[in-house]
Amino acid sequence: MIDLSLHKGLHTAQGTMPLDIDITITKGQFVTLYGESGAGKTSILRMLAGLLSPDQGKIVVNESIWYDSTTKTNLKPQQRKVGFMFQDYALFPHMTVRKNLEYALSKNQDSGSIEELIQMVELGDLQHQKPSTLSGGQQQRVALARALVQQPEILLLDEPLSALDTKMRLKLQDYILKVHQQYNLTTILVSHNIGEIIKLSHQVHILEKGNIVKSGTPTEVLTSHKMSAKFRFTGEVIAIQQEEVVSIVTVLIGNNVVKIIAQESEIETLNIGDTVLVASKAFNPVIQKIV
Amino acid sequence: MMDWGPLILTFKLALITTVILVILGIPLAYWLAYSKSKIKPIIETLVSMPLVLPPTVLGFYLLVAFSPSSAFGNWINEWIGLRLIFSFEGLVIASIIYSLPFMVQPIQSGLAGLPKQYKEASYILGKSKRTTLFKILLPNIKPALLTGVVLSFAHTIGEFGVVLMIGGNIPGETKVASIAIYDEVEALNYDTANTYSLILLAITFFILLTVYLVNGGYLKKLGR
Amino acid sequence: MNTLQGQISNIQVNGSLALVSTRINPIDFTAIVIETPETADYLKIGNTIHVLFKETEVVIATETSKNISLQNQIPGTVTQLKKGTLLSRLTIDTMVGDIVSVITTNAIDQLNITEGTKVTAMIKTNEILLQQ
Repeated sequence: MIDLSLHKGLHTAQGTMPLDIDITITKGQFVTLYGESGAGKTSILRMLAGLLSPDQGKIVVNESIWYDSTTKTNLKPQQRKVGFMFQDYALFPHMTVRKNLEYALSKNQDSGSIEELIQMVELGDLQHQKPSTLSGGQQQRVALARALVQQPEILLLDEPLSALDTKMRLKLQDYILKVHQQYNLTTILVSHNIGEIIKLSHQVHILEKGNIVKSGTPTEVLTSHKMSAKFRFTGEVIAIQQEEVVSIVTVLIGNNVVKIIAQESEIETLNIGDTVLVASKAFNPVIQKIV
Repeated sequence: MMDWGPLILTFKLALITTVILVILGIPLAYWLAYSKSKIKPIIETLVSMPLVLPPTVLGFYLLVAFSPSSAFGNWINEWIGLRLIFSFEGLVIASIIYSLPFMVQPIQSGLAGLPKQYKEASYILGKSKRTTLFKILLPNIKPALLTGVVLSFAHTIGEFGVVLMIGGNIPGETKVASIAIYDEVEALNYDTANTYSLILLAITFFILLTVYLVNGGYLKKLGR
Repeated sequence: MNTLQGQISNIQVNGSLALVSTRINPIDFTAIVIETPETADYLKIGNTIHVLFKETEVVIATETSKNISLQNQIPGTVTQLKKGTLLSRLTIDTMVGDIVSVITTNAIDQLNITEGTKVTAMIKTNEILLQQ
């Protein structure tokens, strides 16, 4: 459980903007902060990591106090158990991939976890190369693995995928989901990409000028239309097949594959990998007891 | 007959000065690069003053300060047993002050030019400021470090005014090459003066050439 | 998906169900939804709303009949017909705009539908989605 109550005057190009937020994040959740640039999303992550001090407020993580302005408690970044993935990766350029990960080991920590992480992000072949010789997506995987070496409880992702192309983005989203589940992380993501948010997060907070203006599940908060459909899911398009006058779109919803009949005009803008809303009236589905 | 003493003394002075400057300069440059303290501009100014101040001015005040008749000079003399005027130790201290900006400025701008995420990423990975400095920051500003070391070394070799003011001309103690050249010219021994000068000229040329080759990446290109 | 826009003209609530009429001149579309004005703020008389229904849910008749349960009946003329082996798609020009229907090719043949045929498109109330 993370309790955040943060107040700070942020210096922006338009003068000082007050950041004022109060949120609670349940352990194990994947939470996204969404909003225009300059809304204060990154500042929240930096305050949680200890890189930026709030003017006032409190940060309580699993009952331990990281920051409290009333008692002048302020743990250093070194004392906070977080993993942080920077927007521009921040890999150490003079170290190889493996050395970057090894540097992150804490004293007396077994280096066996390095091997596991390298396997997980599939960087075995590149482990002895310097970051500058890697592609953006590969560098990002190194950054993700490095953030996990110390086995943090909280993973902070500051627009980690914004510099990548769609294909790479989808692949990295899968890596992020995988580590979130495998390591029981509480993950906080800063993102601009609606598809990404719907795919990854349980909860989304929309920030506007330093305030949270809306919170909820991604479908509640981000799908712009209000719809009467009660049978409603979001999924990822995995196949589109043309059949005489109609098309069959195959969509992965959670672990289930479903098929939807669509018209030519509807599939024009649809691509494999797109996040889609699948909806029907509650009157249509049939229900049958299995056991 | 040429006396090698002044040349050896010069390099001994430059070497000791540079080693001490590395030890002092790195923390000072680190502080200047990252501090938000209000006295930072004052310290920056003090560090940079030797760049513009005539060496004789610096030498004069050091002479006054180091003199056994001054409170500071007297204290040093009595408590540590060091006489700082007309001694090699005095020269070392004067050289450190005189060459300080040549060590501090390259390192300071090198550190300030690094993305701050390197430092932050290292802190989040649980590493202390010290570990971060030695394992992450310094290895990424090697060219700046090399520049600082070489410029301090070369600048110490070339010092004259400060030495003349507080060191005098004691063979084996304070008679460095630049003083020796002046001496020989005064005695009209142009040949000896020329030998000293040529040696200094050549050494300085090659030291600086090495810096530019290394920092410009020419050596790596040749190696390929 | 067929999308039409209109204004809510009537809302009849019972429990958590509501029968919503939407006026798209000159026709009233009725839709049954599991929402009430309390649970959905867009359910307000006079509100502009979209009426959505799938092409495959549009029933086609060549003669209008009062003896049928379908509440939403829109007369029009077939302007385009694309025949497949099993399924065919027809575009119908109506008073509320184009409506597309996908029905079996067998039905097309049985009803003798060609371009220009006058037909009535019909949609069950439980097949209509409302979207703001």
